[in-house]
Amino acid sequence: MTQVEHLTVDDARWDTLFERTRGAVALCYQCGVCTALCPWGQVREGKPLSVRSLLRRAQLGVPDDHEDIWLCTACAQCESLCPRGVPVAEVFQSLRGMAWEERRVPKGLPSVLWSIYWNNNPWSQPPSHRSRWAKGLEVPRFDPSEHEVLYYVGCTAAYDRRAQKVARALVKLFQAAGVRFGTLGDEEPCCGDAAKSLGYTPYFEEIVQNAAQVFAQNGVRRLVATSPHCFDTFRNYAPRYQADFEAEHYTQFLDRCLSEGRLRFSREVPLRVTFHDPCFLGRRNDEYEAPRRILDAIPGLERVEMARSRQDALCCGGGGGRMWMETSAGERFANLRVQDALATGVQVLVTACPFCIACFEESVKAVGAPNLRVMDVAELAAMAIE
Amino acid sequence: MATSLYGASEAQDVICVFLEREGDTLQRVSLELLSKGRELADEVGWKLAGLLLGYYRMLPLMGQAFEVGADEIWVAEHPLLKTFTVEAYTSAAFQVIMNRKPSIFLCGATPNGRDLAGRLAVKLRTGLTADCTDLRMREGGILVGEVTGFGGGVLALIKTPQHRPQMATVRPGVFPLKPPRTERVSRAVEIISVTLDEAQVRTRVVEQVVGRGADITQSPVVVVGGRGIQGRFDLLRQLAELLGGEVGATRPPVDSGQIERERQVGQTGVVCRPKVAIVCGASGAFQFTVGIQHADTVIAINTDPEAPIFETADYGVVGDALQIVPALIEALRNSRVAVTSG
Ligand SMILES: Cc1cc2nc3c(=O)[nH]c(=O)nc-3n(C[C@H](O)[C@H](O)[C@H](O)COP(=O)(O)OP(=O)(O)OC[C@H]3O[C@@H](n4cnc5c(N)ncnc54)[C@H](O)[C@@H]3O)c2cc1C
Ligand code: SF4
Ligand code: SF4
Repeated sequence: MTQVEHLTVDDARWDTLFERTRGAVALCYQCGVCTALCPWGQVREGKPLSVRSLLRRAQLGVPDDHEDIWLCTACAQCESLCPRGVPVAEVFQSLRGMAWEERRVPKGLPSVLWSIYWNNNPWSQPPSHRSRWAKGLEVPRFDPSEHEVLYYVGCTAAYDRRAQKVARALVKLFQAAGVRFGTLGDEEPCCGDAAKSLGYTPYFEEIVQNAAQVFAQNGVRRLVATSPHCFDTFRNYAPRYQADFEAEHYTQFLDRCLSEGRLRFSREVPLRVTFHDPCFLGRRNDEYEAPRRILDAIPGLERVEMARSRQDALCCGGGGGRMWMETSAGERFANLRVQDALATGVQVLVTACPFCIACFEESVKAVGAPNLRVMDVAELAAMAIE
Repeated sequence: MATSLYGASEAQDVICVFLEREGDTLQRVSLELLSKGRELADEVGWKLAGLLLGYYRMLPLMGQAFEVGADEIWVAEHPLLKTFTVEAYTSAAFQVIMNRKPSIFLCGATPNGRDLAGRLAVKLRTGLTADCTDLRMREGGILVGEVTGFGGGVLALIKTPQHRPQMATVRPGVFPLKPPRTERVSRAVEIISVTLDEAQVRTRVVEQVVGRGADITQSPVVVVGGRGIQGRFDLLRQLAELLGGEVGATRPPVDSGQIERERQVGQTGVVCRPKVAIVCGASGAFQFTVGIQHADTVIAINTDPEAPIFETADYGVVGDALQIVPALIEALRNSRVAVTSG
């Protein structure tokens, strides 16, 4: 006898979801392209993340106690080819939001939000240590009458010792290019990406609004962010809340410094590298060329492409709040991505996102490729200046 | 609004903390509340009392409560209080409170504490501020509880001006544990008799099962092994045992099945707060160090002098953990040093 799953349709749930996704969930016509493209299918043999069926359940207002709604890394792989333009990751965020309301949330996630609340960062780090990364460097406090841009460091580059090296390299580059910049020191607000990805939208909105306010009070008109995640938040979400500033990713800013002749690379960096497109820079913000132009301007550096790159780049697995959730050893996208890099025979896997660095460095050890280095574009660029 | 069974004029100048036991020790949250209660009581010159319900082996528990600051302990002993049942405990606590009439009653927001506090508040017809994130004393002995609703970021300050006792629950870990008091003021134990009827108790304790999963978050010593110890958790277990601690791990050994997932320390593992963490063969990645940053003292053993773990550690040993740990075990066996918990 066949087992039939009984579904209970809940109109109120559908209405809520429709409203929260501003109708986007209704667009899906069940073609299944998303399920086919989603990288979870590559790491979970036989049980891919069935994006299509989760969307169908959502459309019917069928309550789902699916753990699966927490898997999405917001990589936008599916969105890039969805014929109906469904913002899949946002739908997942809305579903997560409902799970918060029903108190069905994976262990450990409330403390991430509490940490933003208490510490102004999702990493449970003391707020008073936020500017320690800059120890020994000359990093002035942002002053609108003097500075052309605000350097927005972001929580990960401020606290994660590995990512701090990227922030320090950037400072070196800004100085070399004669950029008049400052930071907000310990008062720099969290961008709220974690709250957004984990689906706690009301709090996310509050965080972005607060950030926009802090920027306004400090006379910030332009900022440059280390992480594509902060950049994405400020570029695509802050404007929804009357924010009045422009955001750039640092690769875009450095690229401009190069083309304007402010920044020049004079030292040879004889390395063979390949560039991994961070999802929140590439697919989410359509910036594929700036980081490549920076790398190509470095003398002696040889850049090759991985088999899947630009729009087709495989996600590292760290987006969508997955940095705060455990992923089983056999299901980490980064392991596959490191294999992609190894296939090109390069010495360095380059990226431009602190989450990618964390995921790749771990996978490099996990797959036993000690000779493959993981570096950030900023670190390579800093090697090329005097 | 119904009035409480006793009002501000009858209430005594006492803060009472419900003492919850866990085997032969008090739960940490009870001690944390006593620490905080001491501070609040001192601000207004009140007394701090602990309410202890049970049936056997109560003495060591009292000692602990006095050590962190209780002036008095109100004890009710009864066979029906042997293990926690919400009916018997509510009834006994109610009788003791009506007997002593404290102005303030604090309780840990543990599963049992929450159960008890809610029922007690209804029985006493008073208010309860649940899950406080801070407690303050205002003029006239008014307790103000700070409550944060997540998300909305709402922050409410709640007080119970007319009803007594003023009740609040607080989650474990909100207040720090202060060092034991050395100066002795008073230490009074008052036995209060309660009448309980078996018929009241509708909960039947069938079996008590202690969860088998390791809880390294509560351990005073954690010995962590990373990829560098090459799976030699047997060595770390011996060391941990000698020090009265637990074994933890970074993610790679967990991934390769050398040790259970519950013992993973870090961002996607657990955050522990031991007095001492001994970290062997771990490079010190940020996702790991967030799990030990609250340790009082971190000792790292690593062959690589450049390993980032040395930036987080208070003491660093550059060397092979597989040689140093056995030597340490040997030395400890000979000198029989032990770190006691609590
Ligand atoms: C999203 C995400 C979440 C993560 N969450 C966690 C987490 O919760 N917990 C966690 O631990 N990690 C986590 N990680 C992984 C983390 O980034 C690191 O990869 C991991 O902590 C490294 O573990 P390790 O230090 O044991 O291994 P390694 O980095 O390989 O370090 C091994 C160290 O051992 C030393 N060594 C080698 N032999 C010896 C010897 N004989 N004696 C002494 N030292 C020796 C080496 O010098 C080296 O420093 C996470 C990563 C990601 C991307
Ligand atoms: S690709 Fe788009 S339309 Fe097709 S099933 Fe997925 S979400 Fe729906
Ligand atoms: S955004 Fe990425 S992870 Fe999320 S469903 Fe789409 S393809 Fe899968």
